Amino acid sequence: MNHRKIMKHTNPSKMLVLAGFSLLILLVLAAGIALQGVLASPNLEADYQTSPTHPDFELLDENGANVLQSGGAISTMRTCGSCHDTEFISSHSFHASAGLESLAAPGEVPGGHEWDFSRGMFGRWNPLTYRYLSPLEADTLDLSTPDWVRWQSERHVGGGPAVTSRQGQPLTELVPDATNVEASALEPNSGERLPWDWQESGVVEMNCFLCHTPQPDNASRIASLNAGEFRWAATATLAGSPIVQSVGDSYRYNLQAFNDAGQVTQEAIRIQDPANANCGLCHGVVHSETREPLIAASCSTDRLPFSTTGQVFSPQRLNDSGVNLENKESLTRTWDVHAERLVNCTDCHFSLNNPVYFQQTADSAPTHLDFDPRRIELGEYLYQPVHDFARGESAQNTLAPELTATMRRCEDCHNTADTHTWLPYKERHMAEISCESCHIPEVNFSAVQQVDWTAIHLESTPITSFRGVENCTPTLQAGTTPVNTHVNYVSAAGTGSGTVNQLVTGYTPVLMPRVESDGEQKLAPYNLVTSWYWVYGDPAQPVRLEDLEAAYVQGRGYAPEVVAVFDRNADGVLVSSELALDTPEKEALIAGRLSALGLDNPRIQGEIQPYSINHGVTNGAWVTRDCQTCHSDDSLLSQPILLATYQPGGQLPEFVGNSNVLANGELFTTEYGSLYYRPDLEASGLYIFGKNRLAWVDILGSLAFVGVLLGIGVHGGLRFYAALRMPHNSPRTRKVYMYTVYERLWHWLQTFTILLLLFTGLIIHRPDTFGIFSFAYVVQVHNILGAVLLVNAGLALFYHLASGEIKQYLPRLGGFFDQAIVQASFYLRGIFRGDPHPFEKTPQRKLNPLQQVTYFGILNVLLPLQMITGVLMWGVQRFPALANSLGGLPFLAPFHTLIAWLFAAFIVAHVYLTTTGPEPLALIRAMMQGWDEVEILDQNEEASHHDHGDAKTSSE
Amino acid sequence: MKIKTPVWIVGLVATLAIITIPIILFIPDQSPALDNPASALPQRPEETNHAALLPGPYASGAEVTRACLDCHPEAASQVMQTTHWTWESEPFEVSWRDEPVTIGKINQLNNFCISAQGNQKSCMSCHVGYGWEEGAEPFDFSNAENVDCLVCHAQTGYAKGSYGNPAEGSDLVAAAQSVSLPTRENCGTCHFNGGGGNNVKHGDLSEALYYPDATTDVHMGAYDFQCIDCHQTSDHQIKGRLVVDNMVIDPAEQVACTDCHTGAPHTDERVNNHTTRVACQTCHIPSFANDDPTKMVWDWSTSGQDIAEDHYTYLKIKGSFQYASEVQPSYLWFNGNLDYRYLLGDPINPDGPTLINDLAGDINDLNAKIYPFKIHQSFQPYDTVNNYLLAPITAGPEGYWTNFDWDLAFELAEAVTGLEYSGEYGFTETLMFWPTTHQVQPATEALQCADCHGENGRMDWLALGYPGDPLLWGGRSQVNP
Repeated sequence: MNHRKIMKHTNPSKMLVLAGFSLLILLVLAAGIALQGVLASPNLEADYQTSPTHPDFELLDENGANVLQSGGAISTMRTCGSCHDTEFISSHSFHASAGLESLAAPGEVPGGHEWDFSRGMFGRWNPLTYRYLSPLEADTLDLSTPDWVRWQSERHVGGGPAVTSRQGQPLTELVPDATNVEASALEPNSGERLPWDWQESGVVEMNCFLCHTPQPDNASRIASLNAGEFRWAATATLAGSPIVQSVGDSYRYNLQAFNDAGQVTQEAIRIQDPANANCGLCHGVVHSETREPLIAASCSTDRLPFSTTGQVFSPQRLNDSGVNLENKESLTRTWDVHAERLVNCTDCHFSLNNPVYFQQTADSAPTHLDFDPRRIELGEYLYQPVHDFARGESAQNTLAPELTATMRRCEDCHNTADTHTWLPYKERHMAEISCESCHIPEVNFSAVQQVDWTAIHLESTPITSFRGVENCTPTLQAGTTPVNTHVNYVSAAGTGSGTVNQLVTGYTPVLMPRVESDGEQKLAPYNLVTSWYWVYGDPAQPVRLEDLEAAYVQGRGYAPEVVAVFDRNADGVLVSSELALDTPEKEALIAGRLSALGLDNPRIQGEIQPYSINHGVTNGAWVTRDCQTCHSDDSLLSQPILLATYQPGGQLPEFVGNSNVLANGELFTTEYGSLYYRPDLEASGLYIFGKNRLAWVDILGSLAFVGVLLGIGVHGGLRFYAALRMPHNSPRTRKVYMYTVYERLWHWLQTFTILLLLFTGLIIHRPDTFGIFSFAYVVQVHNILGAVLLVNAGLALFYHLASGEIKQYLPRLGGFFDQAIVQASFYLRGIFRGDPHPFEKTPQRKLNPLQQVTYFGILNVLLPLQMITGVLMWGVQRFPALANSLGGLPFLAPFHTLIAWLFAAFIVAHVYLTTTGPEPLALIRAMMQGWDEVEILDQNEEASHHDHGDAKTSSE
Repeated sequence: MKIKTPVWIVGLVATLAIITIPIILFIPDQSPALDNPASALPQRPEETNHAALLPGPYASGAEVTRACLDCHPEAASQVMQTTHWTWESEPFEVSWRDEPVTIGKINQLNNFCISAQGNQKSCMSCHVGYGWEEGAEPFDFSNAENVDCLVCHAQTGYAKGSYGNPAEGSDLVAAAQSVSLPTRENCGTCHFNGGGGNNVKHGDLSEALYYPDATTDVHMGAYDFQCIDCHQTSDHQIKGRLVVDNMVIDPAEQVACTDCHTGAPHTDERVNNHTTRVACQTCHIPSFANDDPTKMVWDWSTSGQDIAEDHYTYLKIKGSFQYASEVQPSYLWFNGNLDYRYLLGDPINPDGPTLINDLAGDINDLNAKIYPFKIHQSFQPYDTVNNYLLAPITAGPEGYWTNFDWDLAFELAEAVTGLEYSGEYGFTETLMFWPTTHQVQPATEALQCADCHGENGRMDWLALGYPGDPLLWGGRSQVNP
């Protein structure tokens, strides 16, 4: 305990000092007991990640003096800088720089808006937070730099633009100047532009405590930012700890938390590795308890990154949580399997020079090394830990693009090959679909769907709608709160909207192609957030919230002109549905009122922002693993997603540029005005069996099939009619051993495989029509049959080549056409008259000229083509390059289908023609028994008989 | 023509080969089929209707037994071999005694009602016999007619009363005619009420099991198990031993989850790897006393006062209690045996709680696993001169529950237990470890990783002998290679 340490240092020779120390000892003793009480109080974060070695240290103010002496605000740069290289840390952190390092002229940010001037949140406008950081040259101020720090840097850890000006000067060196965007601020109530004294406010240093202490007081931190007391933000962060006490407007340090050397004790501050809850402060809903129910408000935009997707990171089972989920009883999975298995945020999003996690990427590692053991020392790392963190490739990561995909991917940790043995076409699936697509089948929370800033509530909030939740009522009752508070709607001090009562249905993300850093394109899950807003001028910039308020609001209510046009039910109150700019009159009125404020050409713009979904991962039975989820008419891959229930000003929104998401699908509006986005699989280069079909192939194929059916119907009917009219005189026949055993085996095996291939192929083609069959099973059977067919055909080819029987199929050059015409005229005329077949069938010449050309086509062209396309389609998992060089599945699959149709048509004709023998079933019998009844042609029966003396014959 | 037959055979073989080879090549590896635990369940024989066989009338329990023995002549002698009858274990050699010792209600004490000796009137209502009374006439353990068949087999009309005799109002004819295999009701009558009330003693055996749903007990609730489906019985020897009353238990006599759930029962390899050091119960029984509260603390020292009584907090005859519900078990290494069992006359621990039973096994014992336990704490009387625990006579006109005179209760007991009472008594803390093994939960209720590991874990890894959370520090194979 603390008092023991103090005992050692007391000097017993001086009575006065002793007395004083005794008093101090008593004080510390009492404080120690009190502190113990505080520490023993239940903590969300136990000592799990608390550093066991972090020493006690002095809290220094910005002048380097111990705050116990100066009473000043804690300077993290000086305090933590005593041991760590805080300059290095804050200059190697995209959390701190927030875009300051990528400043550009407005409109020159890749993929940004016309008015964006950096890649990060400092300079890149976000329609969800709406307020626009004014560029240096702005005439009218929306957010000055001090205002940005006050109202938007609650999501900023400090450092970067909160310390350094856009020209690279320390902000404290700026002269207060009402004309300088960096050194002025708007007076909230009057709208007057006043000079800002950075010396007085101090700057917001990078806040180590926010991430490295177990229970940072984020609310107090935000409050001090909002109040413009930037210097005190770090101190306020410790308000929830035993170290700092809030007294009125200021903070006081509790001596109990310090040792006798004036150092804050590790027991009090508990410096730690960032825990999930620290990340969750800004990034989303994190809950580390399994038993204590997780509670999070739906229908809320309060926690912005979370609200955009609804991803929850928690080891708790959904049915144990406090969320009002639909079908909750059955949702026994955990919110996130990685959280469940204690994989923490920092395990994936690690510091890039952390020697524990560092691993050379496969690209940069030499081929002769699997593992490079060389590391920086832990001490070096602790002195200069890079605070750029490994990260994936979400659509929003426009900042520090060089760090995209530095995070280990799923496959880098998981052995996907051995765990997906059940999955047919494993390699193909893995190549085309991100792990998340199946492993995050659903987001069991609400997420923002639409943010409409073209009209505002009286609280200066936009019309917002959510997906994944039922009946989000307007978040606030309109009409009471005073306006012009300039409280941003996402501020923690803001509206506090949201509810825990609504039924959360969750939503299915839309799957869109993502171009990954290695150039591969895979489908990945996204939420699409559509926003509308007014812009004006040229180049355009968003209408300031202040101007928007002026256009809508007068005094404490809506302007009478607005009410006159908007109030559909004339009750004097405007609700969300009435506020929506869904008529030209409303749009014109607001445009006019904005113009009247001096805004040039106010107009509505809409944009769609994809938000990638990478958390909330699940496993086992909860994963999408039913083939027909995708391989069916209702394929998940092409499900449209509702973007908006109306379109303000009739404006079709556009996807934001420069993201790695390919928005190659289609936007369409229903008759009720709802806007949808439907992914386009073909445009993504995908052909999904069971979903994709080329209509013309099926039409053409079925026409051929039906045509043949009709043809044989007519032909057969005529034969029947002719047979009735003709005296029945059976032709003289003799038995000839026509088909060898092997030929018959080959034929019938081929018959069965082709028939079954056609049937299974049809099921794969149209699984919805054949719902009773298991898609995966049928695909398996189809593949096996294909292989049987292939082997059978290969052996048959060998047989025909080796035995010379191949010549049966080769039309003889001389007189082939004449003979073909003779045979054709027999089928068209002679057969009805009972004429004998024009050519004698012999074991040497089994095929008549028409058969020759048909079988030549079937067996030497169609069958090989079908087998080759089939093998290629099967091979997309093994040798995808080959298939892709031949057009990939989008070409091969319809081609395969077309040939299958032709096969089906041929088989019908083929079977029909077997009935043209001496009696209807004679030819089929011949193919089974080998002995054929051959008509004895009048003229040269004997000659023919003798010619083929080697043939096994038997007379009748 | 000679070669015709071989050609056919060759052709057929070739054709079959053409078909089978692709099938073999294409069929994916099948995951091994999971075990079928239901296959280990005993087949329940068809019940015989005894209504016609046992017409009665029966004047006493013994008469019923005699009637039973007409057809089941071996039954009584079988029962008389069991601890249900003898109330004591086989003899064990223990290091601190010269003679082998037995453990049971017949001769030892616990830290609930303390001792059955001398308190037969009530205690014997759970003995499977008739008429075991204290006094000069010792109970005849060899008399087959003293065996109570009905308590385990009667389905209606029967309850046990004083000294194990049929209670007033029992309808012996109806009871005898209703006999069947023992049901949960038969076993539960005693075993759900151990310690003097519903769920008092075990914490994992309560009357909720009479009409369980899946979250009361997945076996009984979801699959309608009876006790004897797991506690399988042959010749009236019932499988399953309570570690509290044994030193060493032959695994063949014990019931184990793995009797039915064989192999690697989890789909997750990581979870399966736990099974060498974590007992099934640890994860699958996250808490006990879920339906009815169980007694956690019993303080005899406050008894005898005329203050407000409440079943869950204070009774004059018993002292004060603490009950708890949905209790998170204590997790301890355990190899299935005891290191120590307090025997009558053993000295108490002067420096801390006296352990009535001490579990065998620690992190270095490869046969030990982490098991869940209910730890029952008691403050019970001991002889401050002789330093051993005292077993009071509580029942009867002179017993403590009548006179509230501890001295008299201990003096009366001298003759029964043979334990000398110095005349000075005090109260000392004792602990008893009760394995949590019943009321297994559905898989969806099982503990998850974060329940034990990580910042909010329920395991005290240091106390278990690990250097830290084995998730980060490695398991005991790394700790003790």
